[in-house]
Amino acid sequence: MTGRPGSAETAGVQEDGTIAASGHTAPSREDSTGPAPVVALRGVTKRYGNGTLAVQGLDLDITTGSFVSLLGPSGCGKSTVLRMVAGLSPLTAGGIAWPRAAGRPPKLGFVFQEPTLMPWKTAIDNVALPLRLEGVAKAERHRRAREMLDLVGLSDFANSYPRELSGGMRMRVSIARALVTEPEVLLLDEPFAALDEITRFRLNNDLLRLWESRRFTAVFVTHSVFESVYLSQRVVVMAANPGRLHADLPIAAPARRDEAFRTSPDYAALCRTVSEALERAMKA
Amino acid sequence: MTPPDDAPGRERRILGLPPGTWPRILAPLVVGLLLLGGWEWAVRHFAVPAYILPGPVAIARTLVADWPTLSGSLAVTLRITVLALLVATAAGLALSILFSQSKWVEMTFLPYAVMLQVTPVVAIAPLIIIWVDNIQASLLICAWIVAFFPVVSNTTIGLNSTDRNLLDLFRLYGATRWQTLVHLRLPAAMPFFLAGLRISGGLSLIGAIVAEFVAGAGGASSGLAYRILESGYQLQIPRMFAALALISFSGVLIFLALSLVSHLMLRRWHESALRKDH
Ligand SMILES: Nc1ncnc2c1ncn2[C@@H]1O[C@H](COP(=O)(O)OP(=O)(O)OP(=O)(O)O)[C@@H](O)[C@H]1O
Ligand SMILES: [Mg+2]
Repeated sequence: MTGRPGSAETAGVQEDGTIAASGHTAPSREDSTGPAPVVALRGVTKRYGNGTLAVQGLDLDITTGSFVSLLGPSGCGKSTVLRMVAGLSPLTAGGIAWPRAAGRPPKLGFVFQEPTLMPWKTAIDNVALPLRLEGVAKAERHRRAREMLDLVGLSDFANSYPRELSGGMRMRVSIARALVTEPEVLLLDEPFAALDEITRFRLNNDLLRLWESRRFTAVFVTHSVFESVYLSQRVVVMAANPGRLHADLPIAAPARRDEAFRTSPDYAALCRTVSEALERAMKA
Repeated sequence: MTPPDDAPGRERRILGLPPGTWPRILAPLVVGLLLLGGWEWAVRHFAVPAYILPGPVAIARTLVADWPTLSGSLAVTLRITVLALLVATAAGLALSILFSQSKWVEMTFLPYAVMLQVTPVVAIAPLIIIWVDNIQASLLICAWIVAFFPVVSNTTIGLNSTDRNLLDLFRLYGATRWQTLVHLRLPAAMPFFLAGLRISGGLSLIGAIVAEFVAGAGGASSGLAYRILESGYQLQIPRMFAALALISFSGVLIFLALSLVSHLMLRRWHESALRKDH
């Protein structure tokens, strides 16, 4: 709320600074002053078996408890980065460190672009899946799953099968499942891309509310400028071929993000800044 | 927001069945009756002798008159069929789980499963009957060879086409191989397995009959195929048709039973078992 020109200015400076720094492997200035990052990517590179260089030399620190968006054109390696952070895809070079948990990855939650539910299980059993895999007893895991379903507003649909739910409701189940283990870090890969705008806005608000109450670290992949600005404290813009960091923009926005913010001039200005950065990233 | 569509008492039913099911039962029934009527009429009108083509009425009469012998043979054939299907299911399931655990195992053994499948059972049945002392056991082996491939190939495809994201999810939560198999791969492969099972049901009957023919030509065995051979020798054509009718009925019954099993197992979630009108 420091006014539009101020925040745009900061963003610009930040952007250039980061481009210059992206070749280094030294920790960025940010973590010497701010709180310790929950995860630190250093020179992260991924080359797929078919020779595609999906990501090259990516340095990124993610502050504990922050909401960070990864924004970039299609094919710039956003999903690849997320999958590497989740440990689902091996790195070709570089490293991913988890400084806070003595190097071991903390509990992670992952939300895919599709709801990715098991169609043969009811909503509550889908949500309880991670607990079941951990060996939590049935009564306890159902209690916790029910709690999560309440949180995402689906208490009445605990015993419905995924096919009996709408697209937005399925996505909520998917988010509930990701949160049921109370993860420290929630990774989301374009979770709302397939939804209509009304549903998307509502789920944006739900997600923010959850983040405010639970304070996990959120890494949110999106290709929507508007969504990234609305949700995050920081937008990381990536460029393609090879996938790399292009700009790192803090989003100075009110603590309370709601429909008023969505229609404010501040929001419009921030979107313009991020949009411009994205455009430059696509030309770069 | 729709209530579960199998909530009881919520929809109209005619004689206990939803209205949409009736055409599926009535249409084939009407066609069958017309065909049988036409057949009976033609046999009578052209005065076809019963040793060339008996009419449905004569066949039905023979079926009733010879029921003691025929039902015994039916029991023998069905026993082999059901046993073969059970063994084929168990072996097929086990084999496809083995295949899905290791690409190497699949690469090594799938060609042999295929070989077993494409070799005509009539060609190997005499050998099996010679090698295996027990006639029941050799019939069972023949029927099993014919029946097991659809279960193996379908289930293997099912196990290998599990949703990638769900597999990743299981990996993310550190699921063991066993957990992934039991909670993800097997349930996901269930529709494929059941489709294979329905084919195998019919094939195990065919396998049993073919093996009985081969064995029956040597005078051993007492199943329906043997009755057909015997009736042929004795020119008791109506009895031959009666035995044939029993085989067809059994086949249809096996198919319906397996379809019912499949429907009951999938009705809560799989597209193939859902009603379209929602
Ligand atoms: N499994 C794979 N094998 C080979 N190449 C891959 C694989 N997955 C992704 N790629 C390639 O890596 C690059 C980055 O892909 P990635 O899916 O990470 O992009 P993305 O930024 O998530 O794109 P989108 O916004 O469309 O989801 C692309 O060029 C893609 O073709
Ligand atoms: Mg992607």
